[in-house]
Amino acid sequence: MKGRLIHKDDIIRLVDLLRKDRRVIAPFEGKGRDSYFDEVTDANRGAVALHLPNPYYPPKRYVLPHIQKLFHISDGGRPSVLEIRDEPQVAVFGIRSCDLEGIFHLDRFYLGNTFKDNYYEALRSRLFLVNMVCTDTERDIEDDCFCVCADAGPAARNHFDLQLMDLHDASGEFIAVAGSPAGEALFSQTFFHKAGPEHVARRQNVLEEVRKRFKIATSWYSAATKFITQGGIKDSTWKHIGDRCLECGGCSYVCPACSCFTVTDRKTGPGTWERVRMWDACALSGFTRMAGGHNPRKAVHDRRNRRFFRKLGHMFIQKEFAMACVGCGRCVRVCHGDVGMPTVVEILRRETSTTEATERP
Amino acid sequence: MSHYLTTCTFCGVGCGIYLETTGNEITGTYPSMSHPANQGRICVRGWHVHEVASSPDRLLSPLVRKNGRLEPVNWDEAYDTVASRLKEIRDRYGPDSIGFINSARCANEDGYILQKFARTVIGTNNVDQGTSLYRTNSVEVLREMTGVPAATNSIGELPESKVIIVNEIDVGQQLPTIGGVIIRAKLRGAKLIVVGARRHRVAEHADIFLYIRPATEAFLYAAMAKVIVDRGIMDLDFIRSHCEGYDHFLKNIRSFDLLLAARRCDVSPLLIEQAAIEFARLKPGMLLYSTGAEAHGKDALHAMVNLVLLTGNLGKRGSGIMPLAEHNNLQGGCDMGMLPGYLPGYAEVNDPSARERFSKKWNAKVPEAKGLDTTEMLCETGSLKAVWLDRHNPVVSAMYCDAGTALDRMELVVLQNLFLTRTAEYAHVILPTVAFGEEAVTFTSTERRIQAAVKTVEPPPGLKSAWEQVAEVAWRMGARWDFASSEDVLAEAASLVPAYSGVTHENLTREYGRQWPCTKERPLGTPRLFADGEKIHPFRFKEMSPVFPEEPEQTEFPFVLWFGHSLYYWLHNTLVQHSEVLKREYGILFLDYPDGFIEVNPDDAKSLNVRDGEKIRLVAPAGEATTTARVTAEVRRGIVYVPYFLQEVARRLRGGYKSVEGRTVHVRIEKAV
Repeated sequence: MKGRLIHKDDIIRLVDLLRKDRRVIAPFEGKGRDSYFDEVTDANRGAVALHLPNPYYPPKRYVLPHIQKLFHISDGGRPSVLEIRDEPQVAVFGIRSCDLEGIFHLDRFYLGNTFKDNYYEALRSRLFLVNMVCTDTERDIEDDCFCVCADAGPAARNHFDLQLMDLHDASGEFIAVAGSPAGEALFSQTFFHKAGPEHVARRQNVLEEVRKRFKIATSWYSAATKFITQGGIKDSTWKHIGDRCLECGGCSYVCPACSCFTVTDRKTGPGTWERVRMWDACALSGFTRMAGGHNPRKAVHDRRNRRFFRKLGHMFIQKEFAMACVGCGRCVRVCHGDVGMPTVVEILRRETSTTEATERP
Repeated sequence: MSHYLTTCTFCGVGCGIYLETTGNEITGTYPSMSHPANQGRICVRGWHVHEVASSPDRLLSPLVRKNGRLEPVNWDEAYDTVASRLKEIRDRYGPDSIGFINSARCANEDGYILQKFARTVIGTNNVDQGTSLYRTNSVEVLREMTGVPAATNSIGELPESKVIIVNEIDVGQQLPTIGGVIIRAKLRGAKLIVVGARRHRVAEHADIFLYIRPATEAFLYAAMAKVIVDRGIMDLDFIRSHCEGYDHFLKNIRSFDLLLAARRCDVSPLLIEQAAIEFARLKPGMLLYSTGAEAHGKDALHAMVNLVLLTGNLGKRGSGIMPLAEHNNLQGGCDMGMLPGYLPGYAEVNDPSARERFSKKWNAKVPEAKGLDTTEMLCETGSLKAVWLDRHNPVVSAMYCDAGTALDRMELVVLQNLFLTRTAEYAHVILPTVAFGEEAVTFTSTERRIQAAVKTVEPPPGLKSAWEQVAEVAWRMGARWDFASSEDVLAEAASLVPAYSGVTHENLTREYGRQWPCTKERPLGTPRLFADGEKIHPFRFKEMSPVFPEEPEQTEFPFVLWFGHSLYYWLHNTLVQHSEVLKREYGILFLDYPDGFIEVNPDDAKSLNVRDGEKIRLVAPAGEATTTARVTAEVRRGIVYVPYFLQEVARRLRGGYKSVEGRTVHVRIEKAV
């Protein structure tokens, strides 16, 4: 991978350059801990933040919107379908490594096999991703983060067009790595200059220091994966986890690797409808209810069971070459009953499976 | 794209959420991490606010019924029609022939203007909130006993409580954010005592689950008080410093029969004892209740406040009593005077000096007679000739009357709503209002937090806020109000409600709203009442009647009917009906049980050989009804739970539309072949 240096004061020039032919999304600070991704305009460009808590509302919405119009239907004699497809070129500036891994995971789901989702592809193919490595242990990384456990950070190895990382020394330089030809093409700009071996070494040092930050929330997956794959978790354990769930759907909504959606038609006027796709969650009872009334995951603990099996079960990891968890920590914050990934992994790790194993034929 | 910090308008928690807009559409929603009430968490309703807010299915022009059909008209014609008909009805039948009912989800500005219109332009006190029949019980009991008709603490204090009592409410469903706070507090070591006849999600976490018969909590809390008094573990310091009426209360409670109470509630006396000792011993302690207790009459409320006073649980962090509001502006609507017996700020209608003060400020005489409440306004034998409904849908939600019949005989029904509801079939004029996110208004949550809901997109042309529409009609009836914006409305309300005197739209958006009282002395609001020993009057004990009727043996009708009020409210909520995911989630019960359902315990069902989904006949002394059985472990043995929407079933079994306060109905269950 090709690397360069860019001074922190020049980063806004990179943003301005990208704005010439794209909508640029960047992170901004909000009230208190709140932060959010928003479009950069002349009015707010001065407020683009380089070090801040990872915005809560996940950037997966730039490839899988929270609510998305797919097409219009009009019924005038013969129904005609008019597709809505006018996706602009977009750059997401400052996406974290965990969220990047999440988008890669969604790519495998929506574009991975013989069926390619048109709507996803339309958004994804127009996306330019500038990854910001988390290096500020006070501002970028929080107690709930555990990307190192999911091998999804702090520095992504690929899936970005450009990666920036603060070297946190007196020079004020960021090291930039290109991850695609489009990213590399930017290196011809004058605000990028050569990096030397000392910068690469500095990068290594920073990452080593950053990794030490991750102590508080951990998610040691392997034992949990083993127990859950072998079917060794007691029913009472799932019942306990289910009792703590208040069925809000938040864990699926904030998760960068969760892909579920539902589709509905809404009447927009006499003889006209729009079809929309919106986020849905396997946490919700109606998600698996079938037309005849049967619901294979009616009870809440059956739905919790399903979520963690999907995320930790070995056959899924094997099929996708990745775990459907990126260690971003959002599910820890969003959950009313504290049954986000780290807590459940801990509960599962402590599970003893001997009783269940001997009861099986 | 833009991000707006606003307040969710579903339930009484008042979670901080962001709305994301793209162009003039609301395209996303997510929680605020720093909001003190919810701190990054919201419920399934909050996660779908954007879905509801962008629903294209809404009314865009006013409708007037002509020759039996609703016809679209222009706004002037709509307002003129309403004004002239109201004038006509008022002149012919008198001001008290007109009533005003709003929803507990209407904004403070809407409530304030509607009651002002009723009182100063029409001349009646017939104002009420439709979805909160029994809230006045809390208002009256709390004013009498603690001095303030509201929750004493902030939601953010619950993690510090060492013992929490949750009375009846399925808090995990109705106010999930608070349900989560309670679950997490329990996981961190707080003692959780759940009282009620329903074994809901949060009850699964209870350290002590007092699975009582419905409507017996008055006996339970009195029994707990007796245990505390007998052991001498009450907080005498607190009682002597801050309370009155203790000696009288003591005399009564001493002669209370614990064993009889345990039999009446059908729980072990040892468990009652244990709960009492824990609540007295562990400090601080919090007691939360809601519509369930309110619907059972004042005794239950008296008993709960007595317990809180006995244990000295007022004024300190993590200790207090919280009447939970299941709807986002139940508290605010009451504060704004949408009650037949109270003016804004709980000034009493029958207090001449209060009437004088308001008459002067409003430049119009405030009527003397206490108004009718919702049950009286919409009862089919009532005297009302006209009713104004602000987003209230009584045909669907009213279980105390046949609202359809009542509305049918009225000469004018004015309905404000976003969508056509079943009540619209009886409306003469329909005024569509703006939606959430299209207006800047305020709401007051269950923790007294007055918060702003901000304007994020432009509404469709012509649509206005509900209060603005009332003002248009008022103008046409001669009132000369001067409200340029909702800020002006809040300013006037704040000038009349001392607890709101320090709030403005602007300062509400600085932090996260302000908890009342917010005054010149307390400009940032009051998170906790009585924190510095300041009281309205000494806290008052209320004596408990030590004699209670023994339930006669009911062998022919062995099951007790329990009429629900608020559970499953969201199934029928208009906004939920116009979404996709929420409609599915809340409507699943209607997909599985299309004709409605009553609920029975699985052991009872088994012994009756009744399966889930089977048609059954309920037979009561007064009548019988056929319905479908839903078998669920949440319901206690010996109980048949009747959701509020089974109005016809309830009517038949009760022998008419009667109040349920204090009455139990017994039934037997038969298979309907």
